[in-house]
Amino acid sequence: MTAKSPSGPRLKASRLERKNTLIAYSFLAPNFLGFAIFTLLPVLFAIALSLFEWNGGDISRLKFVGLQNYAVIFNTKKVAQNGLEYFFNRVDLGIALKNTVFYTAVTVPLTILSALALAMLLNKIKGAVAFRTIFFFPYVASMVAICVCWSFMLMKDGPINQFLMALGSTFNKSWTADSGMAIWSIILVSVWRNMGYYMVIYLAALQGVPRELLEAATVDGAGKWKQFLHVTLPQLRPTTFFVSIMMIISCFKIYDVVAIMTDGGPGRSTKMLVTYIYEEAFTKVRYGQASAISMILLVIVLVITVIQFRSEKKFSND
Amino acid sequence: MDQPLTQRAIHRDHPALLIAARVIIYLLLIALALFTLIPFVWMISSSLKLDREVFSYPMKWIPETFRWENYSLIWQKVPLLTYFKNTAFIAIVVTLLQTLTSSFAAYAFAKLQFRGRDVLFLCYIATIAVPWQAYMLPQFIMMRSIGLYDTLWAMVVLQAFSAFGVFLMRQFYQSIPTELCEAARLDGLSEYGIWARIMLPLSTAAIATLVIFTFVGTWNDYMGPMIYLTRDQNKTIQVGLRRFIQENSSDYHLIMAASVVSLIPVSVVFLALQRYFIEGIATSGLKG
Amino acid sequence: MKKLLALLLSGILLLSCVGFAAAEDNKTLTVVTWDATTTPYLIAQKEAYEASHPGVTIEYVDVASQDYAIKTTTMLSGGDKSDVFMVKELDDIIKWQAQGFAEPLNAYVEKTGYDLSGFVGTEKNYCVEDELYAVPFRSDFWVLYYNKDLFDAAGVAYPTNDMTWDEYADLAIKLTGDGNYGTHYHTWLSAVVNWTVADGVNTLADRNYDDLLYFYQLYQKLEDAGACMAYSELKAAGLHYSAAFANGNIAMLPMGYWYVSTLINYNKEGTCNFNWGIAAVPHAEGVKAGSSFGNLTGAMINAKSENKDLAWDYISWLGGEEGAAATASVGARPAYVSEKVAAAMSSVEGFPTDETSKGALIPAFVGMEWPVAEKVADIKTIVNEEHSMIMAREISPEEGIQEMNERVAELFE
Repeated sequence: MTAKSPSGPRLKASRLERKNTLIAYSFLAPNFLGFAIFTLLPVLFAIALSLFEWNGGDISRLKFVGLQNYAVIFNTKKVAQNGLEYFFNRVDLGIALKNTVFYTAVTVPLTILSALALAMLLNKIKGAVAFRTIFFFPYVASMVAICVCWSFMLMKDGPINQFLMALGSTFNKSWTADSGMAIWSIILVSVWRNMGYYMVIYLAALQGVPRELLEAATVDGAGKWKQFLHVTLPQLRPTTFFVSIMMIISCFKIYDVVAIMTDGGPGRSTKMLVTYIYEEAFTKVRYGQASAISMILLVIVLVITVIQFRSEKKFSND
Repeated sequence: MDQPLTQRAIHRDHPALLIAARVIIYLLLIALALFTLIPFVWMISSSLKLDREVFSYPMKWIPETFRWENYSLIWQKVPLLTYFKNTAFIAIVVTLLQTLTSSFAAYAFAKLQFRGRDVLFLCYIATIAVPWQAYMLPQFIMMRSIGLYDTLWAMVVLQAFSAFGVFLMRQFYQSIPTELCEAARLDGLSEYGIWARIMLPLSTAAIATLVIFTFVGTWNDYMGPMIYLTRDQNKTIQVGLRRFIQENSSDYHLIMAASVVSLIPVSVVFLALQRYFIEGIATSGLKG
Repeated sequence: MKKLLALLLSGILLLSCVGFAAAEDNKTLTVVTWDATTTPYLIAQKEAYEASHPGVTIEYVDVASQDYAIKTTTMLSGGDKSDVFMVKELDDIIKWQAQGFAEPLNAYVEKTGYDLSGFVGTEKNYCVEDELYAVPFRSDFWVLYYNKDLFDAAGVAYPTNDMTWDEYADLAIKLTGDGNYGTHYHTWLSAVVNWTVADGVNTLADRNYDDLLYFYQLYQKLEDAGACMAYSELKAAGLHYSAAFANGNIAMLPMGYWYVSTLINYNKEGTCNFNWGIAAVPHAEGVKAGSSFGNLTGAMINAKSENKDLAWDYISWLGGEEGAAATASVGARPAYVSEKVAAAMSSVEGFPTDETSKGALIPAFVGMEWPVAEKVADIKTIVNEEHSMIMAREISPEEGIQEMNERVAELFE
């Protein structure tokens, strides 16, 4: 951040600082109050819950069990005997982690790249309104209807397979019924659905790129590509920070597409962290373990966020 | 809008190249647009069929007979109008509150120095990272105890103060040069004045984005209303849609028809707001 | 932006007329259930109870069937005071009992001298340590539906009430062709392999799944012969069995008894217009003809209800002879067994009139689809996961069964 504090006697500065803090809090208050009561508080409760055994009955039935929930979901006893390979191939948590990380690692770059490309293409061309609307449409449509449509598109003799076969593919099975392809059907639907959404964010951000800067770059003789690399992209950095964090988080939390299209199957091939949480919480009513799984998700996402946050600050301080 | 300098420059040097590039870009976009629209075509076609035709195999793109009555049936079979009203109420109130409070809070995060700022901000992001399924139950117990269960206001307070909006607005404010705020401070403008007179007008595109996202997100939310709204007069469209899938029968043709109808309001909001992506020339007021 | 704000504001004003009025009536009994507006027996039960109990109103809280578990669990954990919750799956009641939400019923049974003998022992499934927690009112077992018109057209005799699975498979292959399928398997685990529990010895929680092999092989034989739609496509399309059978090109369909009332309705509405009948499901070699498996539906009293006595009156009525008559009057099968009820079942308008169909109403034995057992929710998950792998042909039945055996064994280490 580049805000300079006004120079002056130290005492005056600290009083000013206090005043500034008060002003800042007054800006935060309306949102923070609602946020703290309705989101933060329950989240803190959920964090604590990961150390308890609770079946969803009266709160008085909470039983403190320490780290036992973690020991159970990691299946530490078996994993200690059989090693990590066992963890990632046999233990529910390991499989869910593996699937979720794979899904995230593929979906995030694919979505960001296509969203950015679409936004650049649609920033200032004729007919942009129509295209933008079309690409945003998938996000607008209701999930059930969309997933049912896609399952049908991806069936054995469905249009997608026919198209791929024309291109020389030999795959002839419904995507969602194939343990290798099922996760790709989830990825496909996710990218298709979200690319327009993040395109909108990029489009909005592109409006904030000062035209003076772009024109200055052109005067300097920079080509379009260089202009994009050296002017547009750095200007979009806060947005890219936002988009990548939001994407990573929402990918780690993928649930609805999976629940409707594959229900985690076939077998455990599309079991994700949140599918697993849902299963523990609502079919097996073990809320303590469900919370423990969420904590793992939280830690992963927080680590990624802090790293990105740091690098963002470093860049903006440059 | 006048053509940017770059295009004029290229135009002068390689006119043929430019035209070829344009054609390729449009072809690409059209192909992608078709790919995007295919499921919608199927959705509309299914909405005009009988239920058993929806899944007839191999798939038929054009229904044997167009059953337009499906579109009147959905209003008779379930109280769709009530669902529409409820959903609209929630979506509008949430959008309003969300946009207002989060653009306010985002200003503090983006442009003010105060103690605990980064920690507080990480708190916001951290809650996004906890899946709702994990804290749904404590949240539900709390909402019940304050008497909001099975009221539309439950959905309002749950969604109006999400961390998402604050995060989004903060990022947009960050790309607005801090020098602008400082100049305004020197001119004697209070922080509230800066927010109202400088930040808000400069972030129309961002606000339009937030409005669209919040509206669409609330409109299409399923899990929240499913848990919190119980009586029929309080249900929303997405919950209502599922009433066509029952234990012993399913009416997918009606689901598709209702989905098509529920697309309309959200599309209207998007179309109405998307001009702000062209108009919001955020830097026009910026001179150094 | 200003215009937009004005628009939004006026929108709110308009919509604020959407009221939150809550009707307060002392004699209203709130009953949480699923598909309340369209399930015929729920409508019939409400009408009959309200007619015989003037001044009492039954108010259904309608939950989407696929969300029933999550929604009811949340409601109960949140301290909901709805009086009666219907029990969809057997393990619901085990869960609710453990959470302390189910009112123990033995005292009520004693106090009112309620006769449980009509349930012929099925109520034991709702007992935990000899304490009753719910009253069963529907008992569905699986039967074989068949399309009489397709059998007639092929000149093949109708299925009988005494038929082995091998005979059934031959029949299915015989009826396949010309766009017709001999039989249809819904994607559930139960539709394919639950038959193993019909012998009264095996259960799906007995930790050994070798007995499923025969049924997986039988299924794969039929799928390979094109005698049924392939699982992978059915699963991908989410095709519902009711729509599939109603299409008229499926000769046989093993399905739960509840489908009878749907079919009767379809005939009335004209959604399907062929003749159909029911027969007992086939049996394995050495198992008594007419053996099947099934599931119970019941009702429990919420421990937090403020009208427990009225709630007991309602659920005891629901399970008893009068409630059973109401349930049977629309083609659903009540848990309470008596001659009067059986007569009511077969005299429902639209029920097939042939002797085989009537004979199929009285099963020789009904095993429970899923028994009440330790860690049954975990076992269910594992068996279903491996089932989907076998059915999608990702692994062979032998491999899948071995996985089931190993993974379930690990649960108990």
